[in-house]
Amino acid sequence: MRSIWPGRITGGWIVSVIILCSLGILPLLSPKVYFLSLLYMVFLYVVLAESWNLIGGFAGYLSFGHVAFFGIGAYTTAFLMSTFHLPVASVLPISLLGGLVSAAVALVVGYPCLRLRGPYFAVITLCFAFVVQILVENLPFFGGVEGLWLTPTKETVAFQRALYYELMMGLMVVVLLVVRGIEHSRLGAGLIAIREDEDVAQCLGIPAPRIKLLAFVLSAFFPGVAGGFHACYLTYISPVIVFDVMISILIVLMTLLGGGGSWAGALLGAVSLSFVNEFLTTFVRAEIARILYGMLFIGVILFLPNGLWEFIRNASFKRAHAER
Amino acid sequence: MLKGEGIYKSFGGLMALKGVDFHLRRGEVLGMIGPNGSGKTTLFNIISGLYRPDSGAVYLERRRIDGLKPYQITQLGIGRTFQIVRPLAHLTVLENVAIGVLYGRDGIHQMRRAKARAEELLEFTGLAEKQDQPAGRLPLADRKRLELARALATRPSVLLLDEVFAGLNQVEMEEAIDLVTRIRVEFGVTIFMIEHVMKAIMQACHRILALHHGQKIAEGTPQEVAGHPDVIEAYLGSTYADRL
Repeated sequence: MRSIWPGRITGGWIVSVIILCSLGILPLLSPKVYFLSLLYMVFLYVVLAESWNLIGGFAGYLSFGHVAFFGIGAYTTAFLMSTFHLPVASVLPISLLGGLVSAAVALVVGYPCLRLRGPYFAVITLCFAFVVQILVENLPFFGGVEGLWLTPTKETVAFQRALYYELMMGLMVVVLLVVRGIEHSRLGAGLIAIREDEDVAQCLGIPAPRIKLLAFVLSAFFPGVAGGFHACYLTYISPVIVFDVMISILIVLMTLLGGGGSWAGALLGAVSLSFVNEFLTTFVRAEIARILYGMLFIGVILFLPNGLWEFIRNASFKRAHAER
Repeated sequence: MLKGEGIYKSFGGLMALKGVDFHLRRGEVLGMIGPNGSGKTTLFNIISGLYRPDSGAVYLERRRIDGLKPYQITQLGIGRTFQIVRPLAHLTVLENVAIGVLYGRDGIHQMRRAKARAEELLEFTGLAEKQDQPAGRLPLADRKRLELARALATRPSVLLLDEVFAGLNQVEMEEAIDLVTRIRVEFGVTIFMIEHVMKAIMQACHRILALHHGQKIAEGTPQEVAGHPDVIEAYLGSTYADRL
């Protein structure tokens, strides 16, 4: 059983630190560029899935337009970097600014939208993402459908790859710590109660409108920052790249596959599905990949409604009991 | 302590409540009876803030509370249970109660202290042994206890009980009546309860209020209300009432 109180896994911290340190020094060993960029994409999807987890997994508000916040961060950063010809050193502060812009948009959009429940919220967030995309496509100073080129910098490609790899990994660690902290907090317990039954939650004294909005704003901030990093990493962005509806769907799928409402579930889902995604788009065609995603989605909902993580935990729990 | 004046509520063309007044004195148990659809649960939903009345007012200790959000009303000290029990099904029994503690009036915000307090409440309601079970798997009698424990977790001064005895067998009902009495005595809460089971009402309530078609038709001691001609007519029809 998942619990709102933290469990104790012996040596969990040590294992995590070892894994992160080895991932951190990886760029120094000059591995294949492909390998580094693959891991970079995994980190990106962990950031997106964990952020989505806050509103979708914990509070049960299925936002199908979360790519909008990623795109808003990407465009904010790309626009500022290219307009003012900013150096690489400003990537971090500018991306954080991109995150703040995403969070501000989430505040304005979330206030009315979070009054809608269930499928209505899912549909309106999906529409919101399309509206933002269409808006950006029609704004000339954002480059319209052609997109934005970032000013080339004098640093080597290898250095830049390593830099964005480290930045994205750092962001991932921050997001994981934040979500883990929320999972075992009063806020997390309140959000889960809202997911289970919002009327009951309110009758237990939970200020549902306020904490839903807080979760939504937080869940928009981190994708905004990630979008900023990604814009600089790609050096070129366009609406079809950073507002791709497939990203929205993929992060929902990742979180639900791993198990919404727990940091470990979303992490497991994001990591495993990132590799599956990479495998499918490299070795099988993208169209077939989409069909397989659809089937996976149906399979998860039918057979693993609580996600892979719960399934694994319950299985190990049962084994531990059987041994006694 | 809790007072309602001229409460009206309609859903589309249906008038659910037509000018209901009520008054709850500190420390008493006030019962509410009435045939199905007479507006009892609607009145509770208005008191607890899930609905807004069309007109009229609700006061808690002279403070006007109608129009406030449900969580604000809970934080002012009105707890409630639901007629159709609504456990947070995927959470454990302990978690259900702990969440009430975390967000209720006790001001306990630390997870560990909330757990300890929730364990005390489960002990009190007799659910301690089942604290780690998912709430969705409890049998009905235990779900009713959980509703009570969870409502108590918010440390209410007024408790609204919506048919906590319905669907229980004889033994379970005796236990539940005993539990409600202990809640009133040990927690010092004032209780407003909807109930159909006459035995429970006669035993537990100081006063009774009867609703019919959204209007108050009688109010008084259990004996007075049970013998009131309008109440008999509402339940059994006018021919039977005339014969008495």
